Amino acid sequence: MSVRRRQVLKGALSLSALSLSYPLLKPTSGFAAEKTTAIVIGGGLSGLNCALLLSEFAIDVILLEGSNRVGGRARTADGVETRPEYGASEVGRSYARAIDLCSRLDVRLLPDTRSLLPMSNYVDGTWVRSADWADSPVNRMSDDEREMPPIMVGMGLLGRLNPLKNLDDWLSPEFAAYDISMRELFLNNGVSDAALKLAAVPMDLRMTSSLGMMQERTRTMFDANFGRTQTQAADTPFGLAATREEGEETFPVRTIEGGTSRLPEAIAAALGDRVRLGKVVADIDMSGPDAEVRCLDGSRYRADFVVSAMPFTTLRNISVSPGFTGPQAEAVLTLGYRGTTRAWGVVEKPYWEDDGLEPSFFTDETIQTVVVLDKIPGEDTHRCSVIFTGPSSARIDQLPDDQALALIESEIARIRPSTKGKIRFVDLYGWRKNPLIQGCRHLFRPGQISRFAREMIVPHHRLHFAGEHTRRMDFGMEAALESGERAAFEILQSA
Amino acid sequence: MKIPEYPKLIVAGALCGALLSGTAALSLADQDAPSGQDAAASETPDPRLLAQGKRLYILCQACHATEADPGDKIGPHLAGIVNRPVASAEGSVYSDALRAEDFVWSEENLDLWLQRPADMVPGTSMSFAGLPGEELRRSLIAYLGTL
Repeated sequence: MSVRRRQVLKGALSLSALSLSYPLLKPTSGFAAEKTTAIVIGGGLSGLNCALLLSEFAIDVILLEGSNRVGGRARTADGVETRPEYGASEVGRSYARAIDLCSRLDVRLLPDTRSLLPMSNYVDGTWVRSADWADSPVNRMSDDEREMPPIMVGMGLLGRLNPLKNLDDWLSPEFAAYDISMRELFLNNGVSDAALKLAAVPMDLRMTSSLGMMQERTRTMFDANFGRTQTQAADTPFGLAATREEGEETFPVRTIEGGTSRLPEAIAAALGDRVRLGKVVADIDMSGPDAEVRCLDGSRYRADFVVSAMPFTTLRNISVSPGFTGPQAEAVLTLGYRGTTRAWGVVEKPYWEDDGLEPSFFTDETIQTVVVLDKIPGEDTHRCSVIFTGPSSARIDQLPDDQALALIESEIARIRPSTKGKIRFVDLYGWRKNPLIQGCRHLFRPGQISRFAREMIVPHHRLHFAGEHTRRMDFGMEAALESGERAAFEILQSA
Repeated sequence: MKIPEYPKLIVAGALCGALLSGTAALSLADQDAPSGQDAAASETPDPRLLAQGKRLYILCQACHATEADPGDKIGPHLAGIVNRPVASAEGSVYSDALRAEDFVWSEENLDLWLQRPADMVPGTSMSFAGLPGEELRRSLIAYLGTL
């Protein structure tokens, strides 16, 4: 032991002596760069899938993850009562890659039993039950719009105006005219002021490209109809309403047993010591004969290929040399992101029995949406969550978590007194506040698809791009996996 | 849809199996090198073509098993796909559009399909944008011929 230690010390001394006598060595040579073939930056599902595929083709790969866990926006709050899913939770019927990975890695999929209880509306300070909405005087939308529940107005209007058929149509210049704000699209198509107002509650209509949302709509419809002979409606808030046909066995929407985090963890386990946690990247230097990635802690890695599997919100913070140019530079610097904030709770007593309204509710006030789920078999209480998306998320995220929770509780009690003392909150999470992600998802701003959606994923020197924001045809978890597969494919083609 | 006649592919399956096990080290960059005989006309497909085809299969593998048991994959298995009648794998999910077709997966049809499935059979539930590059499709189809 002591001998080995002395040798190490001696080695270290001679190394520093070398550094002194040979000024050619860089001052950072205290850390020798680790050499590999491909470096993947980002340990979310896209980076993990990319690294796994490369390793399966015998490509040496190291994955650098900035945080102390893998999974990114696939994150189960283990240890919190009711074990909320902070991010991705649903494995769609046509999520080929997610389903295949689960099968290969022995991660079980379970039928999605979550079912949304009916939703009342508190609009303009008045309560309206769902059945009364279409004919309510509070509903000031025009005749052809009145049937839409308030929470679905934005996506419902978009669905009517969506001209896309194929999953990649959104990338075709043929549809560039739809790359305008949802507000502009709705105004051009004679949508009523009342519908515009309701649609703007869960979505920032001015900052969202209609074309981007149409891609998602098209993908959602594709999933809903996959393997079915009859066309299904996809108008379900947050995908929560039960969409399974009676007696249907094949390809239901599923969730991951034990929580979504089990999938990224299983991929990371398969990758073993290729995954390095706590590695926040500072710069990517591709000006030399290979690429060198340097982390904040001084560690360095050299490789023939680098994959950015981070959101652009994070890539923006990294010094990249040679720098991005043209549309790609604009994409990295300006691609829009959106927050989602959720609070999770347990309904201790069914407050809806006291006021006669439906359990879930939508409101144009601070709270936006309270969803109550049907009881999970074997549980005594209903689970609920308060969901803030887009503008309402941006507003609530201005408060520290404890203040936000207190405000949520008092606001719910104010507009719906029957809930007082009957909802117990257990957790709150807002993705915008995660410093390595800064949003729950990308969101093309008006015009951004035309300006850079095609160019932004083109490899830049040795740097390739993955991440849900670089998807071409998919949605949700599957979009992340799709992008990782594409980046791995690009590298395999040139390796 | 009119399906043109096309010569049958003769597959040397046993040989290919042996070659494929060690293909990871082979480079796609080799595609610029003389690629030997045309796989479609040859009894022994070019190993470099097959190696390239196997790498391209990364785009297929999430949906399609290479063996007759599809397992949990959402698309039909591709064992014996070349010259298999359309929509004929038992227990697989096909769109109504594909079920309504009546052709055989000849090499030529596979080439047409892989350019862009939704163009060949609108309404297909195969969400694949397409593989541009005739050479790439040729190598993928050569690999499919070994399954």
